[in-house]
Amino acid sequence: MSTHPSAYFDGGCLPEPPAHKDAARRLRNLARLGFFWAVVILGKLVHLQIVSHEEFVRLAASQQQRTVEIAAPRGMIFDREGQPLAMSLPVKSVLVNPLLVRDVSVVVEFLSRILELDAAQLRKNLEAAIASKSGFLWVKRRVSPEQAARLESLKLAGVEFRDETSRRYPKGALAAHVLGSVDHEEKGNAGIELGLQEELEGIPGSLRLMTDVARRGYESRIETPALPGKNITLTIDERIQYVAEKALHNAVADCACKSGSVVVMNPRNGDILAMASFPSFDPNEPVKDGEDLSARLNLAIAAPFEPGSVFKVITLSAALETTPLRPDSLINCYGGKFSLFGRSIGEAKGGFGVIPMRAVLAKSSNIGAVQIGLAVGVKSLYDFIVRFGFGRKTGIPLPSESPGKVHPPREWTKTSMGSVAMGHEVTTTTLQLAQAAAIVANNGVLVRPRLVLFKQRPGEPIEHEPVAPGVRVLRAETAALMRSMLEDVILPGGTGTKARLSGYSAGGKTGSAQIYDFKLNQYTHKYNASFMGLAPLSNPALVVVVTLNGSPKYGGEVAAPVFREIAQAALRILEVPKDRPETMLLAQEASKQEQAESTAKTSDSRPSEAGGEAALIEGPSSLAGAGLVVTVGGVRAPNFLGKNLRTVLSESAAAGLVVEARGQGLAKFQRPAPGSILQPGERIYVQLAQ
Amino acid sequence: MSLMRTFRDFDWLLWGATSLICALGVLQIYSATRDSIWRNLWTKQILCIAAGAVLAWVLSRLDYHTLLGQVPVLYVGMVALLVATFVFGAAFFGSRRWIPLFGGFHLQISEFAKLVLVLLMARYLSSIRNDRLEARDLLRLTVLFAIPMGLVMKQPDLTTSLTYLPILGIGIYLVGLRWQYWAAIVALCAVLLPLGWFLYLKDYQKARLTSFMDPERDPRGSGYQVIQSKIAVGSGGLWGKGVTKGEQTKLRFLPVPHTDFILAAFAEEHGFVGVLLILGLYLLLLLGIVQNAQGAADKAGMYICMGISMTLLFQILVNVGMVIGRMPVGGIPLPLMSYGGSSILSTFLMLGVVNNVRLRRV
Repeated sequence: MSTHPSAYFDGGCLPEPPAHKDAARRLRNLARLGFFWAVVILGKLVHLQIVSHEEFVRLAASQQQRTVEIAAPRGMIFDREGQPLAMSLPVKSVLVNPLLVRDVSVVVEFLSRILELDAAQLRKNLEAAIASKSGFLWVKRRVSPEQAARLESLKLAGVEFRDETSRRYPKGALAAHVLGSVDHEEKGNAGIELGLQEELEGIPGSLRLMTDVARRGYESRIETPALPGKNITLTIDERIQYVAEKALHNAVADCACKSGSVVVMNPRNGDILAMASFPSFDPNEPVKDGEDLSARLNLAIAAPFEPGSVFKVITLSAALETTPLRPDSLINCYGGKFSLFGRSIGEAKGGFGVIPMRAVLAKSSNIGAVQIGLAVGVKSLYDFIVRFGFGRKTGIPLPSESPGKVHPPREWTKTSMGSVAMGHEVTTTTLQLAQAAAIVANNGVLVRPRLVLFKQRPGEPIEHEPVAPGVRVLRAETAALMRSMLEDVILPGGTGTKARLSGYSAGGKTGSAQIYDFKLNQYTHKYNASFMGLAPLSNPALVVVVTLNGSPKYGGEVAAPVFREIAQAALRILEVPKDRPETMLLAQEASKQEQAESTAKTSDSRPSEAGGEAALIEGPSSLAGAGLVVTVGGVRAPNFLGKNLRTVLSESAAAGLVVEARGQGLAKFQRPAPGSILQPGERIYVQLAQ
Repeated sequence: MSLMRTFRDFDWLLWGATSLICALGVLQIYSATRDSIWRNLWTKQILCIAAGAVLAWVLSRLDYHTLLGQVPVLYVGMVALLVATFVFGAAFFGSRRWIPLFGGFHLQISEFAKLVLVLLMARYLSSIRNDRLEARDLLRLTVLFAIPMGLVMKQPDLTTSLTYLPILGIGIYLVGLRWQYWAAIVALCAVLLPLGWFLYLKDYQKARLTSFMDPERDPRGSGYQVIQSKIAVGSGGLWGKGVTKGEQTKLRFLPVPHTDFILAAFAEEHGFVGVLLILGLYLLLLLGIVQNAQGAADKAGMYICMGISMTLLFQILVNVGMVIGRMPVGGIPLPLMSYGGSSILSTFLMLGVVNNVRLRRV
């Protein structure tokens, strides 16, 4: 280029020599300086962008992102028919960001007026929050939609809204003790809400929110979606629950009792169809200051009591199992006066001579029960009490279940048999009594009570609550004999005649345990009046246990009618086929009475050591008399073949059987086959096809 | 002139680097202001670049010696306009720097003063016969520089006024100065700098000057911009987050991401690799200018090119240093990249003059 003459050189100055050597050296120095700077800058860039990159990414995220929790909806609770018992509805809660409040007076004025709050208190709280530079103050949680709408339309600076849910119990107080309640954060604090809190609650998700420099949300990304809580379907039948609560309520009111509880259970699978406790409460109402919390106590499981005479069922069952005593074996009741190691034992009323064992139960003879208990022996009786499930929790998922108290034999005194045989010195819950009655109803097999039918997280498969395998406690014959003896209780001459049903056979045992006053150290004239019953006798679909605490009257007087009312309605609701002609009720009673008399006559001639088989065959069972077949060892599977789904379901429900039906149309296949004997709690699979 | 000559005289290195930097600048302005009230600024920037290119072309037609001959006029005009800025000036961000023009455009005279001072320096130093700067000349030159510097400082715009210093510095350095004078200058600085620090500088300026060393001391105040800029640069990593994906910019944590902190926004979106590319382009640009200085037909041409390269280098260093937290935060744009009409126009004018020198090389 230098060879080229500069054609454009038209300036006035003469060309000067190019920069000399000195200048070149200076340029090089300059370049060195520049190079030094470049190294410094590059070094810093490497440091920022490569070495400390992660640190700056974290710094950026910490100022740009906020993680916000996505609330997971709490699971609903249904009854076995799918009726909602508890649900969560979306509501808004009001809070204030004190740092954004411009005019405290205006905010306080509007908030207090619309939300009906105390203005002075609100102002105090708000000013305290401003002073502490807190960014957050709850004003009122779960406001009504109208209040929220009014406040939102005002667009007050600093007033914010948070979406929350509010727990609603659409049936009010129905099954309140089973359901329980939730606290202000919608966490369960009682009942199934607490017992299954973890499953109901669900897992909140998280939302990554990008916020700009003014903390305004810019965009959001769901990091983990909220996992809704599981919906719980209970074994409770809303209709039976209603009947049970109403009957209990009326009974407590009528007999001027203090409180009471009822458990209705399907003895085949342990399903609790109803569980009521009185006094009751409305779970929609949060606990108030100074509220008497005893109303929120589930007496059916949490209030153990001395069961009294209903416990004789256990003593007599143990006798049938372990001694040669049969229902017709004669027991000496010493005319109502008996002394056990110096402790006198009397009857509730009058006295009995030598009567058959079934009469001991029917008439609830205390001395008779003690005699039988002595025949059984301490060790065996204790064994059976434990095997019947007393002294330990049944394991239903309700908090505050009491195990009751059963003293081990070594703690028994010489006279303890005089108490335990007739239901004292032990405490049980209503639910435990139902579990015990279910053993007799279920041909001697104990099935654990079940409160939850299935759980299902929305969008996930159903989790069926398994039926625990049954444990045989009594031989089937013993259970059948015991059922026949229980029927005697409600027939004329028994203590529980008021428990008789119309159209159904039934059996039960009354109980009236005197309440011990620990202050006065003596028994009062108030009773825990109870009735433990089952129906229908041949294939019981129901066990109903009623307990009325603080009753001035006996169980046969006050509790038996409650059993009748509940059982009658529940059997109808469950469409259990009638096994007795309603019109023949009186005639049947007459025949029964006759039989009872003849039995009493003949019992002398028969040795009480008669074998179980013989007793079963020869025994004048009222069931046999009524033309019913006692199926020893279990229930036979009905024949569903050729029936439609509706018929299959109603028949199985009536028989207390669990059926799993698949397909549509008519039943083409069933397993187990019709007529085969079902294990306790065994399901029947039915395949339907067009 | 033949087409061939034009083709060869066209400085491919210089203009290639320039147009690439400008293009990346426009892209970054677009990306940084996409969701803001400034979303149309990138089109304005393109207009300014186009206008700058035309001016540069016009200026390269004129002989730079003609320009040198007009230095007294230019200088007086410049000082007059700087004074006028105080009278008609529009104030933004608390500083009176701009003279309003038609159509909402504002001219920042202090930007154009750079070119005038470059020409002044070149004319003065090239006219010295004996290649030695005497005290008298040094003093005269210093006063000539001090007047506009003082005026700009009064606006107040300390950093822009400081960009004039490298022009004077490179001139004195290249012409050669006796070591006694260097010693005197160093001594003078040693006295004046502390004096200026304590007497002249306001607290906010002091905070600005020192906060880059320890920004965490006042993270919401004077340290804020440095912290946010470093976060933007650092979180960009090796490859960056991608165009329009810079969250520091999008969420408005980074202040003025389209002007002074454009490199931070760029670093966030294009990473270390992107920054290396940009710095490489600037290196090429500066080398191109220096090459023209070496090939200049006369001393004046050489001084012009070196003056221009030094003032650009100074701006680049200060801006990059600021963005990465190695320099105090000053209101200084990144030449050719930052949004700003005056900066773009004055830089293009200077590059036009550089091209002018090239056209008249030997």
